[in-house]
Amino acid sequence: MNRWLPRTYLTLVYLLLYVPIVVLVVFSFNESRTGYEWGGLSLRWYEALFNNRAMVQAMWNSLWLALSAATVSTLIGALTALALHRYRFRGKKVLNGMLFIVMMSPEIVLAISLLALFLLVGLQLGYVSLLLAHVTFCLPFVVITVMARLSGFDERLPEAARDLGASDFTMTRTVLIPVIMPALLAGWLLGFTLSLDDVVVSTFVSGPSYEILPLRIYSMVRVGLKPEVNALGTLLLVFSLVMLILSQWILLRSKR
Amino acid sequence: MRSLTQQPFRTAVLVLVWGWLLFLVLTPNLLVVGASVMTRDPGSFISLPLTLDAYRQLLNPLYLEVFLHSLYMAAMTTLVCLLIGYPFAWALSKVGKRNQVLLIFLLIVPFWTNSLVRTYALKLILATNGLLNNALMSLGVIDEPMQLLYTEGAVIIGLVYLLLPFMILPLYSVFEDLQEDYLRASHDLGAGRLSTFIHVIVPLTLPGVLAGIMLVLLPAMGLFFVPDILGGSRNLLVGNVIKNQFLDARNWPFGAAASIMLTLAMAFLMFAHRLSKRRIGEDGV
Amino acid sequence: MKKLALAGALALGLAGCSGSEEPQVLNLYNWSEYMPQEVLDRFTEETGIQVVYTTYDSNEAMYARLKLLDESAAYDLAVPSTYYVSKMRQEDLLMPIDRSKIEGFDNLDPELVNLDVDPENQYSVPFLWGTTGIAVDTADVESEVTAWADLWDERFEARVMLTNDMREVFHVGLRVLGYSGNSTDPKEIEEAYEKLTELMPSVRTFNSDAPRMPYLEGETDVGMIWNGEAVMGRDTLESLEYVYPEEGIIAWLDSFVIPKNARNPEAAHQFISFVLQPEISALISEEIGYATPNLAARELLDDSVANDRASYPNATDMINAEFQTDIGDEALQVYAKYWEMLKSGQ
Repeated sequence: MNRWLPRTYLTLVYLLLYVPIVVLVVFSFNESRTGYEWGGLSLRWYEALFNNRAMVQAMWNSLWLALSAATVSTLIGALTALALHRYRFRGKKVLNGMLFIVMMSPEIVLAISLLALFLLVGLQLGYVSLLLAHVTFCLPFVVITVMARLSGFDERLPEAARDLGASDFTMTRTVLIPVIMPALLAGWLLGFTLSLDDVVVSTFVSGPSYEILPLRIYSMVRVGLKPEVNALGTLLLVFSLVMLILSQWILLRSKR
Repeated sequence: MRSLTQQPFRTAVLVLVWGWLLFLVLTPNLLVVGASVMTRDPGSFISLPLTLDAYRQLLNPLYLEVFLHSLYMAAMTTLVCLLIGYPFAWALSKVGKRNQVLLIFLLIVPFWTNSLVRTYALKLILATNGLLNNALMSLGVIDEPMQLLYTEGAVIIGLVYLLLPFMILPLYSVFEDLQEDYLRASHDLGAGRLSTFIHVIVPLTLPGVLAGIMLVLLPAMGLFFVPDILGGSRNLLVGNVIKNQFLDARNWPFGAAASIMLTLAMAFLMFAHRLSKRRIGEDGV
Repeated sequence: MKKLALAGALALGLAGCSGSEEPQVLNLYNWSEYMPQEVLDRFTEETGIQVVYTTYDSNEAMYARLKLLDESAAYDLAVPSTYYVSKMRQEDLLMPIDRSKIEGFDNLDPELVNLDVDPENQYSVPFLWGTTGIAVDTADVESEVTAWADLWDERFEARVMLTNDMREVFHVGLRVLGYSGNSTDPKEIEEAYEKLTELMPSVRTFNSDAPRMPYLEGETDVGMIWNGEAVMGRDTLESLEYVYPEEGIIAWLDSFVIPKNARNPEAAHQFISFVLQPEISALISEEIGYATPNLAARELLDDSVANDRASYPNATDMINAEFQTDIGDEALQVYAKYWEMLKSGQ
């Protein structure tokens, strides 16, 4: 087959994927307010961003939420993966299936079902409802990441630990956890990003007491072209890029 | 001795996981099913008696049109993703291993970036005074700016842009597994390129295609912020309808019924995916 | 590794105790672009109370959210239009306003208090009033546009903007057909729906977040707009004109109300009093272009604002004007059904 044809094609698609992102970054340094014309280099939109108290508050709230949602879902997800890997129990298939369904369901379906639940039990919509919802949609991703790691792992290690008299708990702590550590970190980072990015579920389960960044951005974007959004988007891009590189680096290093 | 120490840990883990899933996945979904067969109530959202009105309303030809239009846009999105993604994944699987890692990385970078912000960036490009129109006009390709923003096309472009990686990744993984032996065998048996493609490559990559369709089609019906930003609050998706029923019109049974339609669509796609995988399994070995 | 786990546990622990010591907060639930930032800043400066400003783009969304959140709704202040004030009052969603804590109520235009929707203003204090009329970008539209019916002109294909507000859009459809904009007759509503479907090929976008933006961005040339938005839009786009249509404009009055479950009604009262100061009301009207019901504030207005017909219509402009009224839940559902069909139809 021709060699340059596939390559040109790949390049073209990558270009299309990256043009909007480049536009965003470039225009975040644009002095002009209109958003279409170039008015010179400027950091004024970054300044405006950090002078907006509500925005900064929402940023902190979002970071806090992402941090806690990622942590909780990693803890529960890792335990789930271990249970699925190690134990035989009734309903294992059902458990697996439920996780798969959570991962596959359109976010909006998850969102309204959680909303219905929170209203029924009378949970105040705010940090706690957001946390529960975010952990729920992050969970399957952590489970999958950890399961993948576990499936390529030498079964004799835990057996050896057992034979040496370690309890199940001790064995998990001393043998399994170190093995799945990279997957835990990768899963944590994935959960963190998913939580930080979520609009659909958060729209339904957030309350006025805890405003988060994606919803702030949503209301800004709906109003029209706001150069602050470019600046914020660039910051988020850099932030997630760092996270992504970190997670890839961890995964690659652990393979060696 | 051992069973005593291991039992509490095992039990604790299982109780935690099951508890979480039962409380936050199963119960909520049952609630939605329940809500869909209740009567709309202006005061407390839903009330008895039980009724199938919401489903009847869904099948009302006028409403059905709304759903079909949404389905049409989601299907177009999926088709475009498939048309771009299939050759892309193929080409990607042919690249040298070293570059492949980098290319995959580049593919998932946008996926890790805030999707709202990326949708907004598309608005900058597609607007009447936007970059695309400006560029084409200064190049003399067009005289008048094209109307791109707030159209059905803009919504589809937005959805494709957000969902393309979800089509490419599963396709890439089936192309990765595609064994050269089959292709060579097919060639040795005298099959031409086209015939090899149709009879060997397509069936073998079918699970990837279906996985991709599943990962694109379902979100493409739910991402309500795309029509809000790029569609001018027109060209609504099922997601917009569901959101409006819950957060605007307060018709919960109807919103719940619409959401169950989506769930059924998901179940159908999952079933098809499983079936295709099984068939490959039998034929392949 | 242990450190990481420890950090995680710590994070969770902290999450549990955050919020033990909070500064006073006022949760203001308002239309988007409906309160100058300066006013919020000055309020915080004066009282030390932080304002959390959350927005909505329709009465329906605001009402649904308050109903939905119910007891967990921490909104201290909302700004519904008149016809929702009566609805919310009747449904017992509001807290009575303690007039003894409100200063400056007497400054309000006597014609805009004591309305049927809330006799004696037990539950609401007028904030701003305004109109929904026609916006024309005269740079792109040569012929004159004088009536709602002109929007149906073929020349405007794909150049028309409507507000993303069910009642307002149907109001236009009903008025063009000669009916009342507050019709509850399903027949009339259906007719209006059919009339509006003829307009749909021309409709480029619906926008109630900032109706001036599609005009400024060059996406639309003609259509609906709120008067304040037209005034704000003129700052950037001089050719943007506000037209009072022959069939009559849509008039509305938005009032402060305190939701039943407000966390900080004290601060809500303080905020209302703060806004009622003539100087602040004047500032708001000048900044965002809507008319203040505060007569003392009108005295302070800059002449260019006070004489601006877009902000302060004269008697002829108000001929045929119709105030929106509560039409009841049943009619609302009829509207809602056609509204959805209208927006998703092609």
